[in-house]
Amino acid sequence: MKVHVDPERCQGHTLCSMIAPEVFQLDEVDGHSTAVIDGDIPAELEAKVIDAIRSCPEQAIS
Amino acid sequence: MSSAETNGERKKNSYHFDRHTPEYRHQFETVTAELVGKCPIAWSDTYEGHWVAAGHKEVFELARSAEYLSNDHDVNNQRKGYKGISIPAPKGTTIQGGFLEMDPPEQRHYRQALNPYLSPAAINRWTPVVDELVRACLDEKIATGRIDFVDDLANVVPAVLTLAMLGVPLKNWSIYCDAVHASVYTPPDSPDMVRVNEGRRAMYMDMFGQLAQIRANPRPGMIDALIRADINGKAPEDMELLGVIALLIGGGFDTTTALTAHALEWLSEHPQERARLSSDRDTLLDSATEEFLRFYTPAPGDGRTISADCVIAGQEFKEGERVWLSWAMSNRDPAVFANPNEVDLARTGNRHHSFGLGLHRCIGSNLARMVFKRMLTAVLDRMPDYQCDPAGAVHYQTIGVIQGMQHLPATFTPGPRTGDGLDDTIARMQAICDEQRLAEPVTVRKASARIAEA
Repeated sequence: MKVHVDPERCQGHTLCSMIAPEVFQLDEVDGHSTAVIDGDIPAELEAKVIDAIRSCPEQAIS
Repeated sequence: MSSAETNGERKKNSYHFDRHTPEYRHQFETVTAELVGKCPIAWSDTYEGHWVAAGHKEVFELARSAEYLSNDHDVNNQRKGYKGISIPAPKGTTIQGGFLEMDPPEQRHYRQALNPYLSPAAINRWTPVVDELVRACLDEKIATGRIDFVDDLANVVPAVLTLAMLGVPLKNWSIYCDAVHASVYTPPDSPDMVRVNEGRRAMYMDMFGQLAQIRANPRPGMIDALIRADINGKAPEDMELLGVIALLIGGGFDTTTALTAHALEWLSEHPQERARLSSDRDTLLDSATEEFLRFYTPAPGDGRTISADCVIAGQEFKEGERVWLSWAMSNRDPAVFANPNEVDLARTGNRHHSFGLGLHRCIGSNLARMVFKRMLTAVLDRMPDYQCDPAGAVHYQTIGVIQGMQHLPATFTPGPRTGDGLDDTIARMQAICDEQRLAEPVTVRKASARIAEA
């Protein structure tokens, strides 16, 4: 699976990075999230990424 | 169809909703189940009539429809006369409630000015200071075996830290602390209101003095950032800035206090869960924090004004109508949260609305989480067998503004002090703030605070 954070929807709730810090990095200035893995998510992180997607209050991760 | 018939059809889901009554607090789960289950968007005749949104999906769609919703509080009647985020709006208000009662672009400009003070990276720098303040609060009581978790801990730390971040002298915290809490929990018709209003006046006087001092002799902090901010091409005036500072203080104080008190009370009632949280904190602390946020929703909702005729979540709205977005009730929607009225410290997929949604997401959320976690874990470490006294616990009579607590006394097995008391610690933290310029934004200062060995 691949993962992307929609910068228009993200409001910096930070739950994704709490759940999967290996995948989601927060901007130093506004705390908004970006996915740092461009390609396929390693299998061992998939469950965490799915939890992060489910947990996003803005539903900004796909 | 006549307009009356159209209105009847539009408002067919009607429900008498008054969140300012004690009955709402006592019947919260019943009222919530009715609204969420039967009419997730309902018309209420209270407060000159307004909509109330309780369903998770409905609140989500409404809160994110910025093009049709306004937060504006037009206190001087210069625009459309909208009433801001409180339903009803407080009588005789002359100050806008900061950027929470503004729309973009001004709202965005304020947040851009403050984000580098409140991002996760900015907040993490303060952790050593918070730990020292928490230690001092607990040391004041640790040898006695008695503490009031509200008065002696959860009121103190958020207040001192918020002032430090603003650039206000830390020792002034008591001027602000009681004034903020008392003005939330005191009913408007209470005889105590005279004293509460005096406290508020003293707070605004100090705030105004700080603003003038920082304007004349700049020192780091959020007040300095506000003075320098370019808000839509203009430098903001003092009255507007007072509203913004009051928002940061109101948002920073009572909410974190409320969350911490409720979590400590729940953990006292569930000692096995407390032991599990303490021993498994590496995996449970984050999810437990989100669960306490969901379950106790310190700020239970926000009002909005519909800024253009629209249909959202299947409901037709007219321009000028008021809407109450209930974060607290949407946090109990069984469509999203299994067993919504149970606390599950390991809950996953916890899309709660406790910090709001969309462009007005609580700007202090990172601060709230950090301070809450440091207070909670310090109590678990130093007072692991604490027992709250239900007879002494005082909850706010109503939960219309903040779901808070006034007192939460507890007893525990006494332990040894490990450092100096609160006043000395606050003086030491002030020196560290000044020397290390801790209140600079993260764009200027990246390093964490350094606390010398006492």
